[in-house]
Amino acid sequence: MKLLIYDRDITLSDSVKEKYDRVIFADGRYAPCQGCFKCWTKTPATCVMKDSLHEMCRIIGLTDDLVIVTENWYGGYSPVIKNILDRSIGMSTPMSTYRHWQMHHVLRYGRYNSARIYVTGDISDKEKETWKLMGQRNALNWGVSDVEVIFSDPFSDGEGADL
Amino acid sequence: MKTVFIDCSPKKRLSASGFIMGLTELFVLGKKKNEKLRTPADHERILSEISDAETIVFSMPLYVDGVPSHLLPFLKKMETFCREHNKTFNVYVIANNGFIEGKQNEPLMRIMENFCDRSGIKWCGGLGIGGGVMMNVMRILLVVFLGIAVLRTILSLINEGSFFPVRPWIVFGNQILEVLALGCGIITFDIWFANCINRKKEYGKHYTRIMLPSFVFIICADLFFTIISVFQGGIFRGWFSRKKPTE
Ligand SMILES: Cc1cc2nc3c(=O)[nH]c(=O)nc-3n(C[C@H](O)[C@H](O)[C@H](O)COP(=O)(O)O)c2cc1C
Repeated sequence: MKLLIYDRDITLSDSVKEKYDRVIFADGRYAPCQGCFKCWTKTPATCVMKDSLHEMCRIIGLTDDLVIVTENWYGGYSPVIKNILDRSIGMSTPMSTYRHWQMHHVLRYGRYNSARIYVTGDISDKEKETWKLMGQRNALNWGVSDVEVIFSDPFSDGEGADL
Repeated sequence: MKTVFIDCSPKKRLSASGFIMGLTELFVLGKKKNEKLRTPADHERILSEISDAETIVFSMPLYVDGVPSHLLPFLKKMETFCREHNKTFNVYVIANNGFIEGKQNEPLMRIMENFCDRSGIKWCGGLGIGGGVMMNVMRILLVVFLGIAVLRTILSLINEGSFFPVRPWIVFGNQILEVLALGCGIITFDIWFANCINRKKEYGKHYTRIMLPSFVFIICADLFFTIISVFQGGIFRGWFSRKKPTE
């Protein structure tokens, strides 16, 4: 499955939508993670908060190729995107393993192929370095084989034709 | 000198961030104030609390290799506040994470440093602690162990008329020593961290952890989540299954 998650309130062209199996606009109309771990221990792969992110971990978990478009916030994701990622830890299981000699969780849905992260907005050189590290860390955490962080705005043409 | 400590865990009670913040506070001198940041309703109160502070200590969990999402809007407001009022705070960060390697907090530390750069305030460094959940469980267990020792003392008073039975307190003493041994890295780094706050010195970035080999830690973590999942029932509801979205 190919998934696009983006945080800009913009109308995507049909040609962009056709490239993806699922397109999610991060509208921010959902609660942040409460850190209860119940998506592991009580209702696996389901968040106990019943809003639009209730089953988001299943969608991200089943993804083979993930594309994220996020505004830069201090070298990390925008809050609306980060909220989605925080609420999706159910895509792994609570059991632990080693990846690259470091502790990580066993993935519920196995590894996925690629993640491409477009970072938009004003960004300093130091923040770019943070982003590069973030991309590598996320790839390990999520079990992504190939991760790419791109500092350019795919919506610069108004409808995201580059995506 | 006023120091404001902000517990940024979204948990209402018993957060590891709150615990390590409290421990740090013990070693920090001067006027201190504790704040809890969970929702946007906390923002204005905290901004007014920090307005006359010299030092701010953020304590937070690592979420998906970064800062928890609910903290970001506050950081943005604080950035504007600092710029508008020309603030020059000293900012220190304590981060704790679930995995054993404290070093996994590095991207979070960099984000907080970038936040300080944009806000024009002073990044004084951070302490990253691996095995935060275990640290939290251990301190809760210590209270439980203390309760057991007190209970056994009362029972021996009732049953045998002995006012101070030695055995339960030897057991409790051993338990304290074990916890101290596992937490010695955290305690040492934390005292050093607090010392830097007191002297308004830069701490740099340092990482520590629960003092266990990682394979032992993994066994403990797996056991912990298995027991909780049995009690909460998740183990019987497709614990590992690859569930598909229902809609
Ligand atoms: C949504 C979420 C994401 C997390 N991501 C990570 C992570 O990427 N790496 C890690 O080591 N621990 C991770 N953890 C574990 C927390 O950092 C750990 O449980 C921490 O001790 C919680 O601190 P608190 O009790 O102060 O909230 C995550 C926990 C949650 C709930």
